[in-house]
This record gives sequence, C-alpha cells and structure tokens, in this order.
Amino acid sequence: MDKKYGAYICTGCGIGEALDIEALTQVVTGEMSMECKTHEALCSKAGRELIENDINNEGVNTVVIGACSPRVMREEFDFGDDKITVRANLREQVVWCQPEGAGADFTQELASDYMRMGCTQAKKTDLPVPFKMDVINKKILVMGGGIAGMTSALEAARAGYEVTLIEKADVLGGKALGWRKQFPTSAPWSNLEENSIADLVNAVNANDSITVKTTTEVARISGAPGDFGATFKAAGTKGEWDAPFRVTVDEQDKIDKGQMDDPNVGMKKYTEANPAAEKFGSVVLATGWTPADVSEFEHLLPGNDKVVTNAQFEKLAKEGKVPARVAFIQSPGGEEHDKDFPYCNSVTSMVALKQANYVREDNPDGKAYVLYQHMRTPGNMEMFYKAAQDNDGIFMTKAAVTSVEEQGASLIVNAKDTLLNEDISLEVDMVVLAAGMLPATIDKASINLAYRQGPGFLDLDLFDGYADSHFICFPYETRRTGVYTCGGVRKATTMAETIDDAGGAALKAIQCIESADRGVSVHPRSGDQSYPEFFFQRCTQCKRCTEECPFGALDDDEKGTPLPNPTRCRRCGTCMGACPERIIGFKNYNVDMIGSMVKSIEVPEDDDDKLRYLVLVCENDAYPALDMAAMRRKGLNNLVRFIPVRCLGSVNVVWVKDALSSGMDGVMLLGCKYGDDYQCHFVKGSEIANKRMDNIGETLGSLGLEPERCAMKQVAITDFNKVPDMIQEFVDQIDELGPNPFKGF
Amino acid sequence: MSEITRVEPDLKFIKYLKSAGGDSMKKCYQCATCSVVCPLATEDNPFPRKEMIWAQWGLTEKLAADPDILLCHQCGDCTAYCPRGAKPGDVLGAIRAYAYTHYGFPQGLAKLCSDGKNLPILIGIPVLLIGILWMISGGMHIPDVETFREVGFGEFFGHWDFHWLTKNVFFIDLIFVPAFFFAAFAVFKGASTMWGKMSESLDPNPDFRPSAKQYVGDFFVPAIVESVKHTRFNECGVNRDRVKGHLPLLLSFIALFVVTTYSFLRKDLFSLLVSEEMRTILHAPIPQADPFKVLANIGAIALIVGVGLLWIKRSRDEDERGTHATFYDWFLIGLIMTVGVTGLGAELVRLFGIPSFAYFLYFIHLVSVFMLFLYMPYTKFAHMVYRIVAMAFEKYRESSFVKPAGAE
Repeated sequence: MDKKYGAYICTGCGIGEALDIEALTQVVTGEMSMECKTHEALCSKAGRELIENDINNEGVNTVVIGACSPRVMREEFDFGDDKITVRANLREQVVWCQPEGAGADFTQELASDYMRMGCTQAKKTDLPVPFKMDVINKKILVMGGGIAGMTSALEAARAGYEVTLIEKADVLGGKALGWRKQFPTSAPWSNLEENSIADLVNAVNANDSITVKTTTEVARISGAPGDFGATFKAAGTKGEWDAPFRVTVDEQDKIDKGQMDDPNVGMKKYTEANPAAEKFGSVVLATGWTPADVSEFEHLLPGNDKVVTNAQFEKLAKEGKVPARVAFIQSPGGEEHDKDFPYCNSVTSMVALKQANYVREDNPDGKAYVLYQHMRTPGNMEMFYKAAQDNDGIFMTKAAVTSVEEQGASLIVNAKDTLLNEDISLEVDMVVLAAGMLPATIDKASINLAYRQGPGFLDLDLFDGYADSHFICFPYETRRTGVYTCGGVRKATTMAETIDDAGGAALKAIQCIESADRGVSVHPRSGDQSYPEFFFQRCTQCKRCTEECPFGALDDDEKGTPLPNPTRCRRCGTCMGACPERIIGFKNYNVDMIGSMVKSIEVPEDDDDKLRYLVLVCENDAYPALDMAAMRRKGLNNLVRFIPVRCLGSVNVVWVKDALSSGMDGVMLLGCKYGDDYQCHFVKGSEIANKRMDNIGETLGSLGLEPERCAMKQVAITDFNKVPDMIQEFVDQIDELGPNPFKGF
Repeated sequence: MSEITRVEPDLKFIKYLKSAGGDSMKKCYQCATCSVVCPLATEDNPFPRKEMIWAQWGLTEKLAADPDILLCHQCGDCTAYCPRGAKPGDVLGAIRAYAYTHYGFPQGLAKLCSDGKNLPILIGIPVLLIGILWMISGGMHIPDVETFREVGFGEFFGHWDFHWLTKNVFFIDLIFVPAFFFAAFAVFKGASTMWGKMSESLDPNPDFRPSAKQYVGDFFVPAIVESVKHTRFNECGVNRDRVKGHLPLLLSFIALFVVTTYSFLRKDLFSLLVSEEMRTILHAPIPQADPFKVLANIGAIALIVGVGLLWIKRSRDEDERGTHATFYDWFLIGLIMTVGVTGLGAELVRLFGIPSFAYFLYFIHLVSVFMLFLYMPYTKFAHMVYRIVAMAFEKYRESSFVKPAGAE
C-alpha cells in the first residue's frame, strides 16, 4: 500500500491552551515530514470533515491524530478498514496529567515526543490482511450428553448449526437421569419440580440437526478452529489415535537415552492427521463431573451403612427409601475449619434442601436437620431456601459437626458452635454427607487434543482442576481457542446454571466459527484482523514461541520449526516477545515498529533535569488505569513516555535495549497481575514478561548498567489512584542512580 | 457450655405456634436485629433471637422456663425491624399463649381454652351452669316494669324472705365465689410451677432464701406497681399507642374491682348491721349519685373505651402490618368487650325500664364475667398474673439472693 500521510492536531479539551500548537505542528511537518493540520474539535462533524476531505481529495490513507486517548472516540476516528489510523494521546497523557506547576517546556517536549511516536507508528504500520482458511467447517462437536451437552447442542442447532453430540454412556441424560426431582426453575421458586430430563432427551433426539453418538468417546482432536479433526472410538477402549501425552524436551532426552518409557508407544504422533477424522469448526466440552469421595472424613463414619453421600441418598430417594430422621452434614471440618466439602460450590447447599424436602414428603413426622457452615442459595434460590426454612420439620443451624456415632439402630450426630448457642446432639436414622462434584478434567485431559503442548488444558490447578480460563472475565473460554466448556466440567453448577452455561458455550462456539470464517481473532481481541507472521528463513528452531504461546497455537515439525495455526491464535504477541531472532510480527504491531517509536523519542543530553523514562503499558488494564488517573487530574511524571502494548507478553527485550542504548534512563513494564488470581487477558503474558525482565536485569549488569533501570509492576484497572505514585517511585529510584552512562553514545 | 444437649424438636409444638400467631417464626435467620432493638436483650442474653430458634426447633421446655417471654410487652420493635418478616413479637405472643396452656391446671381445661374450635364449649359451660342455676333458683321469669324499676336485677335469681342474705346474692356468690377461688388456685399453681422451672437455670445462694415478706415486699409489690404504672409499656416503640387502650382498661378493672368489693360489702355485710328498712335500700340498686356508682359507670365506660381502642389497633395491625389474627388475642378482646357492653347495656336498659331485654343482657353479662373468671388462668388474661410473676422473678434473679453482690 502506498501511504499518504496526514497528521491532525486537535486543540480542544484544553490541548490548545496548554501547548504551543505552532511548535508542535512544526515537529510533525519538520522532523516527521508530514502534512499537519489543526482543528478546535477534531471529533466534531467539522473536524471529521477536515480529515475526510483530505482522504477523499488528497488521497490521504494514513491518518495520525493528536488528540484524546485511543480508548475514546473510536467511532469518530474510524475512517474505514482500508485506512490506517494512529492516535497520539495528547489529552490524557500530556495535558490532563500535568503535575501542578509543571514547566511549559516539559509539557511541550512530552507532546512532541507523542507526536513523533505517532508519526513513526504510522510509518511502520501496514494494513492487516485477514487470514482466510481454504475450507471452513461449521459443524459443532459437543462432548457429553448430559444437561449441559444436550442444551448446548440444542442451542447451537436452533441457531442453525449442525451438531454432533457424543456420549460415552449408552443413553443420553447423564447424571440427571438419577434425580428424583429437580430444583424449582420458575416463580415462586419454592417447590421442587418433576425431573424434566426426559423432555430434554426427547428434544435432542427429535432435532434433525443433531447427530447423537452414544457409547462413543473422542480419541483425539487435531487441527484448529474451523478445521478440527475429531477421531472417535468406542467408549472405554484404547487405540492408536488416542491423543498422545505431552513429552517435554527433557523427557524426550531421557526416552532417547532409554532412561524412561515412552508413554506414547503405539500411538500416532500428534502432528499426524487421521484421514478418517470427522471435521468440526469448534467444540463444546460438557463432560461433566463425578461425585467426590468422602472416605477421608473418618469422624463422620463414612463407612457406616447409614452414612451416605448426597448422590447415594438421591438414589435411595428415587427408590422411595427415605427414613424419618436425617441429618445433612454440609461441612466436614469439625472444629478445625469451616470449609464445606471440597468441590461443592453452592450446589450441595441446595441439594441438601431438596433432599430435606424428600424427608418431609415421605414421612408425616419427618425431621430433616441441615447442619452447615455455609448455606449458599444464589439468586432466586433464596426463595427455595426460605420455603425449606418455613417447613415445620426442616431444622437448620450453622454447626461444626464434631462426630457421628452409632447407637443401636440410630446414629448420634454431635455438633458444636450451633445457632442454639450450645453443643447439641441429634438422634437420626441416616446421615447424608454433602459430597462435591469433581470435574471430569481433574485427572484426565477429557478434551484429548493432539497439540504440541499436550492433550489437556494447562495450569488447571489454578482452578482446582475445573476446565476454565478466567471465570469472571472470560466465561466458557479455555486455554484452547475453539474449545468452550459448560456445566460441571467448568464449575459445580445447578441445573439452571448449567442451562445458562450451555447456551453461553454454544454461542461462544458459534462466535469462534464465524470469526475463523472471517479470518479475525475470536477473543479477547475480537475482530482483530492481524495475525502473527513468521520469517522462517531466519528461524533457529529455539522453540521459545511454541513453548510460551499461552494458547498452544503453535505446533512444530520434527526439527522444531513452528507450525502456526492462526485460528487458534489470540493475537497477544507473546510469540513475538519470545522470539530472540525477532522474526515474528504483525502487520500493524511488530518489533521494528515499537523499536522505532522508542528511538523516535528525543533524549536530551547533558541535562540532569530532563531524564527520560520509557514505560511499556499493557493496553488492557494498565493503559486505561493511566487514562483514568489523567481524567481525575492526577499528575503523572512528565519525564515518562508511555507506549501501549497488546500484552506484556509481546514485549521483546530488544525494545528495552533500544531505549537504554538511545540514552533513556529507565524502562518500566506495567501489566496485569499474574499468579493464582491472575488478571492477564492472555493468561501468561505478564508472568512471562516478568521472567524476561529478570533475565534482562542480569544482562544489563554484565554491561555495567544497574539492573534497577528495568522493572515490572503489576496494576489492576482499579489501581488508577496508585499508578502515578508507582511511576514516581520508579523515577525517584533511578534519579538516585543518576543518568544513563550511555547517554550520548 | 461444654455439656452436650440432646435436641429433639417437637413438631406438634411447632404446628401449634404457627396456628397461634407464630406462623412467621420459621422465617427467622438469626441475624439478631431483634436483639439489637429489644430493650430486654443484654450482651449475654440475645432476646428474642434465641427464643426464635428455640421456637423453630420446637424446644418447648426451654421456652416454657424462659421468664423473658413474659417480660416482653410486645412493643413491636423487633417485628418492625425484622428484615425477614419473622415477626418475633407475634411469635412471642404465641409462645406466651402456649406457656399458659403448658402451665395450666387442670390441663384438660387449659387445652380446651387454647383452641378456637372449642369456643362453643367454652361458652356452653357457663350458659348451661348459670342457666340451670337460674332455673333452679326459680327466678326465671321476666318481672313487670314496676317491680323491675324498684329492684333492678336484685331478684334475677328470685326472692326469699331470709333477709340476712338475699337469694340473688346467694346465687351470685354460689356461682362466682367458687369460680374466683378455683381460678385463683389454678393460676397460683401454674405460676408456682413456672417459678420452679425458671429457677432451675439459676444458681441461688444456698445460705440465704428470701422470706415470704421479702418475696412480697422486694419482688411482687414493685412488680405490681411497675405494671400499674405501665413503665415498660411506655418504653415501647412501635406499639406505644397501645398504652392508650391498655391503661384505661387496667384502671377500669381496678375500679370495677373496687366497686364490686364495695357492692359485696354493702349488700352482704353492711346490710346485716342495719335496720330492716335500711337493708332494703342497701339491697336495691345503688343510686346513680353514689360515688361508687359514679366510679362504676366511669369504670364501665373506660373499660369499653380501652378495649375498643385495643380492638381498633389490633384490626389495623392485621390490615396494615399483616399481624396474624389469633383466637388467643380475639377471645380476650371479645370477652372483655362483651362484659363491658352487656354490663353497661344492662344498666342503661334497666334505667329505660325494659325488663326482658335487660334480663337478656344481664344473663349474657353473667356468662361473660364467669368466663373471664374461670378461663383467666389459661387465656391471654393470664398474662396479668404470669407477667407480674415473671417481673417479680426478674427482680429475684437480679437480687443478691441469686447474684452475690459485686458478681457479674
């Protein structure tokens, strides 16, 4: 594309008053040799017309806008997919964030640098071209024929998609087949309902768009969204197309030396494609849960025949064998802790209430005791709780159940710290323990992908084994693009929650297929047309990109050369940050582009009052936090230059070197929290960046530069009031070190 | 508390409480808002929060031995502030109703009085009793207007010439004196059982026990004085305007008690000491100008006004606040209203000189007064005794007989 540039500076929102616009224009026209026009309100109709006239009459196709933050006025400054628009943030990051009494020259220099960076970015940006697959498969594979899977299949079918539903048992229905009744699903939310699973099974069987395969399992799924290849097998069997286990480089080394058995003997390599595989566009994983084992809680007599789990009690209730006096124990911690049984979430609270109702239904003088540490009845289920509480024969108390003893034909339940303000014992005929719901992914891959990074999801220990990626920000998504989870495999859910979940997962699966079809990213950068491109001639097969990609988008060949799967990619750029050869880049976001922007910053020599700091800011949370700080007129140090990045994972250490070698005095990375409760939109980006910064610190040390000149800080989007101080702290720290000794070289 | 209590909920009790105005009790989720607003609650005594869970769990014995349920004057603050609509005040009312039945002696009669279904029997007993006695007395005919104007109801139960005791007074005494003593004995027995149960939780100083004089002087007299003064009623928040009805009602009872005593003295004792002529005068209706008659009339009016105000308030609460209508409450309101209206009505109709209607009202009046006496120990009316006993108990509990001086 032949670029014709046009730069525009807005003088509204206080920009015109705070800056010498004449001088700023000269920076653009002079140093950057671009046409530059100003307007008092670029976002207004007249302002837009000014730009559109140049586009239409002068042939401008690359627009640099020096105005407000790129996070606002997106529609106003959208001139179409065939135009490049670059925003220089003069309002939030220059004018609105000036500390009190800031020297005018400082502010002016800051603005000039942002215009330089904007113009440089415009020069280094190309229009992205969407990645189009040759063939797209729009069928959806749903794994698991329980409530979640069947609902998901129905929702997808109703939306016009072909669905294949596989179930390992010989009938559809899953766990719900064994339930006597189900929770209320509509007002007044107080009465149990007849089990409706048969209706759901019938609806699935009657739907022409759904192909049901029972007693079937997935051996392996290879490929990528829009082109998954699923190999099926009879449930419970093994075969050569089973998904191979992950073998790390070290393990492979041991296998080669004969120190370790190859776990994948007799299995096809993960890169091998099964010609018989069935093609799908995306997958919904609804492989559910199994009741947890409670035998470890010995003080509750788990071995006694009158002590059962909630799952066993449901079966007894269905058979009509409900005794008159039953204690429901929700929390096994006794006096040690108040945790509920593991993996219970809120479901077991409501199950206890349901089963307490059975006790009352089946016995005129039935007494059901619910002994809990937590009673969790979210949403309208509060009404169900109230109704149970109102039942004459249902007795509830918070309690630390210390022991269960056998006494003749009865059981004695002893409890402390009850609401009755005394230690109580109850004589009952049966004790029901609120066993939790273990996700299918807790001990096996379940999804069985033939990926380089292994058959399962990564780091599920962060979610106690549930197949999840980020519960709050990205529900249904997993670490594998194109695979969406719902129901018990994602979280211990009730039927109603599962149904909601299933609809969500089906919609995600559809979104994925349609995005793949358009050649754009699914999430979280929905609609992004760019994708990473590799300059393979210079690849050294170091495998960093294939290892570090948080989403397993890159497979590799025998030698270790990456095999990209653009539809699996989320466009975070972690591969680009990882690549030591700098051969990975996007059309509109690459190593050269950011590096050039860094180098375009003017670094004064021999002026100790005008040190320069570079802060690479994650655009997801940290950048908005900076904008929010500016909107609240919190001063930001005006020696600092901010450059937004897609994710800290995309930060290539060469940018740090670029900054320091051009004389800047310090480089900071601002990104999301990582670790157990990470907030990184790309899961691993900020964590990886942190490791890289540790490593670069060592390198700097060997060059005679203080490692403290580089730092990484974690911020949440809500930290806007702390960010200015965090930055100031970093600046002060480097002030003590003095200017970069390489300044001027 | 290290001792483990075996808990066995009483489902029948729960059912009873729900039918007797405590229908909302199961809603309580132990947030303790009630204990925060209740003036009776202390740091160690989360009242009525603990009573609510005892009620939910059907723990009858604990509730029956709890003086606090009787110290509660149902000021309504807990009910007004309850975030869940559990109406602790109403539940406590139901528990009190249960307590009167629980301690009631004899149990059969107490149970009979606890259920609205038995109302026909409850009315039937006195109607039959008084009716039969009326028949036996031979006075069962309507007098002519002249005689009626002269003697009033003085010959309701007929007339004989034994001047020391008129036939009428004889029959009235025959009916009411045993009823009074029966009720007094029954309520004494119930209240003393209750005192014993309440004392079980105490740890009294074994070296000192209050004398009878101290029981009366230190505990009961102050309790009675406090009740008459309505001190606690005036501390009430939401239900404060109940005092407007309850105070005149209480004072009217005192006034009518004084008048009845006077009437008893005048007709049964003074008449013995005076001449024949004078005796006739004393046996005739008390003249309207007599200060005691004035007091009686004022008392009757105060009674009707007082109970009327309570009637209105209760109806309004039921409409506006969703207070549950109970037999326990309405039986007493209805009964007192009947006593007042028939009493005053009989007097007015007597002055107008319509013997048949007057006799009819007088009969109902006798029946209703009898019911008030006989059923006092088992109905809401029992609160006048049980509450004073509980208030006395509270003073005893706080006294140095139980709590050594200086102890917390």
